[in-house]
Amino acid sequence: MKHDFVKFPLHVIVHPFDGFWDMKYEQKGKIRVALTILAIFILTLILQRQFSGFLVNFNDPRYLNSLNDIIYTLLPFLLFCFANWSITTLMEGEGKFKEIVMATGYAMLPLILINLPLTFISRIMVQEETAFYYLLNSFAGIWFLYLLFAGIMTVHQYTASKTVITMVLTVIAMGIVVFLGTLALSLGAQIWYFIYDIYRELIFRT
Amino acid sequence: MKLTKALVLAAIISMLAAAAPAASAATPYEAYTYNFYEESVPLPAPYVPEKAVSGQSLGVGSFNQPNDIFVTEDGFIYILDSGNARVIVLDNQWQVLRTIDGFEMDGQENKFANPSGIFVSEKKEIYVADTDKGRVVVLTSDGQLIRVVDNPQSEILPPDFKFVPLKVTADRAGRVFVVSRGMYEGIMQFDENGKFIGYVGTIKVTVSPADRLWRALATDAQQAQMQLFIPTEFASVDIDRKGFVYATTVDINSTETIKRLNPSGQDVLKRFGHFPPRGDIRYRILGNNSGPSKLVDIKVLGGGMYVALDSLRARLFTYNDEGELLYAFGGRGTQLGVFNTPVAVERVADKLVVLDRGKNNIVVFAPTRFGKLVSAATTEHYNGNTDRSVDIWREVLRMNSNFDIAYRGIGRSLLMQKKNKEAMEYFKLGMDRKYYSTAFKRYRREVMQEQFGHFMTTLMVLIAAFVAYRIVRKVRVRRSETREA
Repeated sequence: MKHDFVKFPLHVIVHPFDGFWDMKYEQKGKIRVALTILAIFILTLILQRQFSGFLVNFNDPRYLNSLNDIIYTLLPFLLFCFANWSITTLMEGEGKFKEIVMATGYAMLPLILINLPLTFISRIMVQEETAFYYLLNSFAGIWFLYLLFAGIMTVHQYTASKTVITMVLTVIAMGIVVFLGTLALSLGAQIWYFIYDIYRELIFRT
Repeated sequence: MKLTKALVLAAIISMLAAAAPAASAATPYEAYTYNFYEESVPLPAPYVPEKAVSGQSLGVGSFNQPNDIFVTEDGFIYILDSGNARVIVLDNQWQVLRTIDGFEMDGQENKFANPSGIFVSEKKEIYVADTDKGRVVVLTSDGQLIRVVDNPQSEILPPDFKFVPLKVTADRAGRVFVVSRGMYEGIMQFDENGKFIGYVGTIKVTVSPADRLWRALATDAQQAQMQLFIPTEFASVDIDRKGFVYATTVDINSTETIKRLNPSGQDVLKRFGHFPPRGDIRYRILGNNSGPSKLVDIKVLGGGMYVALDSLRARLFTYNDEGELLYAFGGRGTQLGVFNTPVAVERVADKLVVLDRGKNNIVVFAPTRFGKLVSAATTEHYNGNTDRSVDIWREVLRMNSNFDIAYRGIGRSLLMQKKNKEAMEYFKLGMDRKYYSTAFKRYRREVMQEQFGHFMTTLMVLIAAFVAYRIVRKVRVRRSETREA
């Protein structure tokens, strides 16, 4: 338990290539750990938006909505995994969907480890010190991207350049999925209203 | 039966009475200011329209396209009735003293031609920008010619230069500042003898990256066809007691349409608000009433405040010395208090007067209790009487708890009294991050100094405990090792 939830994720984020290899081939990664990290990340985001110090918090409290935060984190996460899986399946990637989810999940750990304490530290910062807040924030982001890169690369057994290309294609695929999704939704709505109109017509005719 | 009827009637009457709006508070516009999130927040009206004054009501015949108005410190009003080429002088009781429709020059009667700007100095000398005749006429208060400023000569002026003065102002030393049509270099400055001595407030030309790229791609012939990047012209000038010239420009690309020029001609306006003072910051991009505000006139109100007049949406914007919007009000329409073509704004004691060229009248606005309190607090704060301003700000907050500037004002005074924690609270409410940081820094130091003893004790205890733990563990391990051995 301790090994799965604490030791191994911490090992992964400091030794990404080694760690992701173990995750894939030694079955050391657990999907429930990845999902837990995702859940804590969402919690971090919500806490950060609500509780970070006044000097760095530019959110309008009237429009903070935790449900939106959950949706807008969960949706891109799943979208990324799905799009990446779709692309890499076509491009001889060796990773399974489960492994992609795990790699993405584990890669998010630095965002939690840095941003969660930072949220509360930012409350005792003055204007001149907020530079560190932004520095650490960006550092966490860059770390996350690096881990994501390493994770995807190891999981699919790609070269570096191929990983970059698939990443770009993944982003494009995400766009296409969103586009198709909205298209299907609006068409569905049209059909629904068509049926509803016929129903109404029939009601008023008789 | 009769009783029920009477009751029903009474009920109906009481409903009608409740539905009627309170007449005293009714204004044809809604006053507002912008908050931190750049949303317009409604305010209680700071000014209510009191009366409209027209040429007929003054008994001098209707105005014809009046272009400017000036009010002296002691409340004498000078109306420049351009279409009738005359100056109407009123005393502080709104009674006509005289009309000046000409003056004697070189032994001959001389008239104005479409004048568009007027200024009256402390010595009651009347400066008239006589536009079509290309001169600035300086008259005594009873209409005798003192001197004429015209035909400026200088090497820096182009040879075919035509002097078309639009607005005029003068400082105590007699230097004359003239906004001239087609004069893109800045405001023209004349010395007390009418000699041209240079420009002030030169506007910088900014070229957007897109324009730059476009220009680089164009051929020479195309470039010649393109319009030149010339800075925009000034629209109006005013001068404060310290000799700083306030000016507005009409420039849709600039956010610095209001300028405050120091005697050497640099812009020193404070822009410390969440957004620069430039009229509306939220407006439609296309369609009716679209685009940024066109500030055509500016008036210094004292206490660091100034009011700018937007002719596009016919609104008045009042700012404090830090460049924060206090309130905006006004609009287009036909009722009293809204305008057709407002061209000039002035101050009579604590009232505002707006000259409307379209309606050929002058509208007088009287401050409400809210408006009076806000300007009193701003003035006290500007003069450094923060304690006195706090009481007024609290009064303002009682009337409008959404007024960010009041919270900021109270916060600053609390900060001076070293009540850092309370100050923090007020700065947070007023969304003032800079001062919040200062207050917080002090508060943090205070807490640290107070708690330093406790903190160090805890730390020492923890360290001691940790060391003890290590020693105990080591001893145990050694013991077990020796036992095994």
